[in-house]
Amino acid sequence: MKYCRHCKVYIREDRDKCTLCENILEEELKGKSENVFPKIPPFYESHLALKIMIFISIVALVVSFGINMIFPSNINWPILFMFAVISIWIGLIIIVQKRYHIPKKIIWQVIIISVLAVLWDYKTGWRGWSLDYVIPIACVSAMIIMYVTAKVMNLSISDYITYAFLAGVFGIIPVLFIIFNLVNVVYPSIISIGVSIILLSAIFIFQGKEIKTEITKRMHI
Amino acid sequence: MKTKDKKEKVEWQKLDNASKIFPATSNNKDTKVYRISAELYRDINPKNLQRALDLTLESFPMYKSILRRGVFWYYFESSNIYPKVEIESENPCSAIYIDGKKSLLFRVSYYKKRINVEIFHALTDGVGATWFLETLIFQYMKINYKDELGKNIPSFEYGASISQKMDDSFWKNYTSNIQGKKLKREKHKSAYKIKGKRIDENKMKVIEGAMSVGEVLKISKEYGVSMTVFLTSLFIHSIYLDMPKNKKKKPIVLSVPINLRGYYNSSTARNFFTTMNISYDFQKNSLEFKDIVEYVEKEFKKELEEENIHLKLARFMKLEKNPVARIIPLTIKDFFMNIANRWNDKSISASISNIGKIKTAKEFEQYIKQFSICISAKIPKITMCSYNDRLVITFTSPYIETDIQRVFFQFLSNRDIKIEITSNM
Repeated sequence: MKYCRHCKVYIREDRDKCTLCENILEEELKGKSENVFPKIPPFYESHLALKIMIFISIVALVVSFGINMIFPSNINWPILFMFAVISIWIGLIIIVQKRYHIPKKIIWQVIIISVLAVLWDYKTGWRGWSLDYVIPIACVSAMIIMYVTAKVMNLSISDYITYAFLAGVFGIIPVLFIIFNLVNVVYPSIISIGVSIILLSAIFIFQGKEIKTEITKRMHI
Repeated sequence: MKTKDKKEKVEWQKLDNASKIFPATSNNKDTKVYRISAELYRDINPKNLQRALDLTLESFPMYKSILRRGVFWYYFESSNIYPKVEIESENPCSAIYIDGKKSLLFRVSYYKKRINVEIFHALTDGVGATWFLETLIFQYMKINYKDELGKNIPSFEYGASISQKMDDSFWKNYTSNIQGKKLKREKHKSAYKIKGKRIDENKMKVIEGAMSVGEVLKISKEYGVSMTVFLTSLFIHSIYLDMPKNKKKKPIVLSVPINLRGYYNSSTARNFFTTMNISYDFQKNSLEFKDIVEYVEKEFKKELEEENIHLKLARFMKLEKNPVARIIPLTIKDFFMNIANRWNDKSISASISNIGKIKTAKEFEQYIKQFSICISAKIPKITMCSYNDRLVITFTSPYIETDIQRVFFQFLSNRDIKIEITSNM
């Protein structure tokens, strides 16, 4: 233990300066000094990777616009490139933000991928590939991935049931594509609808009660 | 962390009134986590501590809950996560609740002679946490010092049934038809804000001062007041001495929590508290310490009147029961609660909280040096507790400066109180 003459207090740890007044402390008194708190090393900014990625994105965009101005071409490819970069970032942000909740993350990815695909398709002269392939395939993969992660990670039913249910509902949406004749290739949509119906019926038959408790829990007012 | 037993029925529970604000407003700057520590005379045995924790959890089923988001409200859900005792490796009161992350709302760690229990405030308040720690210490002592104690192992006084401990006392004790005067809404006046240089990485400076309860009581008696009133006055005095001249127009407002258990005969281990604001305006009142004490004493008396407390409770519950407020989606509620929280933070300068005496069985006193408590702080805060004759007053502050702490402790040491200081940085 040390003593600060200025503050008239005893300092328990082995320090050179007084905690309160920062004056230099004198020699140790009898009674050992002891560390009561552990030394916690500073948490270095681990976001260097993030900073580098932001920097690269900006450099790439500036260069692509620059090249396009110097050597003009028919298609406005830097704009497409910019959309690509933005798409990647949106995907990444969602992955990082929802990192603790995988089923939720899967649902978000389906939404993001679908919306981005439709936008891309629209911007590049609507050839219909987003509705033909991307959305149905995204929905089916989501359902499969959801099932696999739930099994592999040993998630409890309440963790994924709501999201499995949502994935099932999303998977049925391609019905609308077929009804309104929006698709050229129907097979992916049919597969998606089929898998969804099977999944939803499985949920209702085997886990109807859990769905009900989940709903009362989440919706309590 | 394991999640076994998928088939086990998942229980869930609403948050009590006071808990509702914490998940919405916790962030890295203010984690809404507090820590109660027990310091023993000998090094901690982690294996025995783990066994003690396992036993303690049996009496506190609430502590196995995780916090989840519903559409309209947050709720607690029982979980099978196994809490593991770990060596202290994080800063005091670092974040426990992270939105979306499935984790328990408390953490038990140890370092050399200390056992730390850190709790997210939505789970329980200081008094509830004290019971948890007392039980943990009891179990630890029983296991760790089994041979030394021999036949002298005392039996534990649980104090309350498990259902009493799980009680939502806000809900149970609230009556809407309170007759008589309405609680006057305090006029919103912005309080003096203590400014300082923030510590990197949102860390907090924790300074603990340990001293004799008897000596502090003696000085309090000289002023004819209780220890809490005396120390609250001293805190106001210390803040005043640190105030820049041009800010002296603003009042110093201290927020002081009130334990409601005594008023309603409740023994819940969940949150059951409210707060009062003690405001001191140096423009209207005298600078003399004696006068500050007198004023604070009067304010405490006024605020702690039973009728006043009933009205406070009724007002809180009215907001919760408001049908419009209830059907607002949680995301929007979070937003408004954040605004309210910021508004509230503006109206206080600092806070002081005394969780009182911590008790253990007589047989264990030879092993325990002291108990202490600290809390996450966006503004300077004092928390304190006592064990036998050892009072530990803890300052937590997000600022590097220690002038208020210095003035505070120097006042006491100048009155010949022996103070032992320790700090985390």
